[in-house]
Amino acid sequence: MATNNGTTRTIRVDNLARVEGEGALDLHIDDGRVTAARLRIFEPPRLFEALLRGRGYMETPDIVARICGICPIAYQMSAVHAIENAFGVQVDGQLRALRRLIYCGEWIESHALHVVMLHAPDFLNYPDAVAMARDHGDKVRSGLALKKIGNELLRLLGGREVHPVNVRPGGFYRVPQRAELVPIAESLKSARDKAVELVRWVARFPFPDFESDYEFVALRHAEEYPFNEGRVVSSRGIDVDIADYEAEFEERHVAHSTALHSFLKRRGAYLCGPLARYALNFDQLPESVQGLAKEAGLGERCCNPFRSIIVRGIEIVYACEEALRIITAYEPPEYAWFPVATRAAVGFGCTEAPRGICWHRYSFDGDGTIRAARIVPPTAQNQLSIEADLVAVVTPLVNEPDDLIRARCEQTIRNYDPCISCATHFLKMTVHRQ
Amino acid sequence: MTGRSRSVLIVGLGNADRADDGIGPLVAEKLRRLLPAGTALASPRTDPIALIAEWQGFDAAICIDAASLVSKPGRIHRFDLSMAELPSDRQPVSDHVLSFAATVRLARVLHQAPQRIIIYAVEGASFAAGAPMTPEVAVQAPLVAAQVAAEVETLRHFSFRHAAANSP
Repeated sequence: MATNNGTTRTIRVDNLARVEGEGALDLHIDDGRVTAARLRIFEPPRLFEALLRGRGYMETPDIVARICGICPIAYQMSAVHAIENAFGVQVDGQLRALRRLIYCGEWIESHALHVVMLHAPDFLNYPDAVAMARDHGDKVRSGLALKKIGNELLRLLGGREVHPVNVRPGGFYRVPQRAELVPIAESLKSARDKAVELVRWVARFPFPDFESDYEFVALRHAEEYPFNEGRVVSSRGIDVDIADYEAEFEERHVAHSTALHSFLKRRGAYLCGPLARYALNFDQLPESVQGLAKEAGLGERCCNPFRSIIVRGIEIVYACEEALRIITAYEPPEYAWFPVATRAAVGFGCTEAPRGICWHRYSFDGDGTIRAARIVPPTAQNQLSIEADLVAVVTPLVNEPDDLIRARCEQTIRNYDPCISCATHFLKMTVHRQ
Repeated sequence: MTGRSRSVLIVGLGNADRADDGIGPLVAEKLRRLLPAGTALASPRTDPIALIAEWQGFDAAICIDAASLVSKPGRIHRFDLSMAELPSDRQPVSDHVLSFAATVRLARVLHQAPQRIIIYAVEGASFAAGAPMTPEVAVQAPLVAAQVAAEVETLRHFSFRHAAANSP
């Protein structure tokens, strides 16, 4: 909706499609200058942290999986790592590999859905994926095929695609036999080829000439592109154990949102997710994937958030290759889980959800009952950067028609693949012009 | 009867843990004992987009789902998408997944939709997480299951033109 009231002009988009969750955007334009861009998240608070208090540690993976239908593995993995950290358990060998494998599935299904069904139509000027499919049916089929293979990995290792039930502290309730993984390996080879073609396709999209000087934040592991483990590092020198996350980062309530906003205590906004992971871990990608990134026009870091669609494609290719590597080397472990002995302790977990780092802290009583829980999802961490990007993107467009501004704002927000339900905490947009 | 018997897929849509949204999975469960051999019964789905892959290769699909309340809880609606489009005035807002109507449109654009898609939708009153199903909705499950089973017979053994002309 657009209204003109004297010198104040208001544009309202009642619902932004192709994001997860509900909220709104208010843009304030005074005297031709963008003075504020506020993401008003009005999805009701979900109170998971309070819900977890008093529950047993074994219930945690199944409860936190309910935070998100798109990235439940991220919540389950961060939770089980935090539990094991508290109780002094180290999961290694094939069980550790299976955890990376199930995470590969989540990245593939989540990224494929976002790249093809949600974000690509923005660049090609289609209202949605259905309209885009009339001209680019092969690419939509590829996207759906990739989503399907990612979901198959989740079903095989997690027991079901949405809110998996097979993840437990110490490992899994059941581990697959090798013969169960062999057929999926054949599908993954085909999926990898489709993902490579997807990268080549999105690399040819028209990208706005826009860059931002982000402080990238991601996990970094000495030997691998990060999924489950690593230190929290940033492009401006942060390098801390995940247990020291709260020394560098804090969450604050803001009046216009039911989601907490995360800040770097010393510097404010930061960026997590595919661009950050890629910039801070490029050297950990296989040469084949590095080569594809260069072919797609990416350097070793990318500061144009619109090109995040290419980086997501690169991460799909990586996840397919990593999944194939894990399956090739797989030998079923003797036990499906390591025993876990409870003790009064605090534990920390941080893993790389498709949208960025997902940090958990739990305090336990001696019998494993949760005394306190804190969960920091990726979208809450990126909100400041989303708002800063919106101001910067709209500034050169203030004299353009409302429809153009609205479309560019939606595209900018989708650069982050925001998961509002996770952040609980998307999108009505109001532009106030004075 | 004309030619080979046609392949039919049955899908119950909805979340069994959200009160009346569970009517699709409940009807699908009841159909296990009613369907003729050779009829495929898919796992219950909450994400319609997965249907595109599931539908591939089938001549017809019957989907059972809950509908938002328009007149009274438990009222049964039947939509034959070869005869008319699914009403699209009640779309979900801001969700990662496609709506059911958009999923059908996308499947057709991609030439992956069955020739016949029939929807049974039962109006619900409550979709609250963890809440029990409304009695007026639950009581309709055997009736919907019986109607779907009868429809499967028609779809399998009669030409689609004939079946459409005789649909209930």
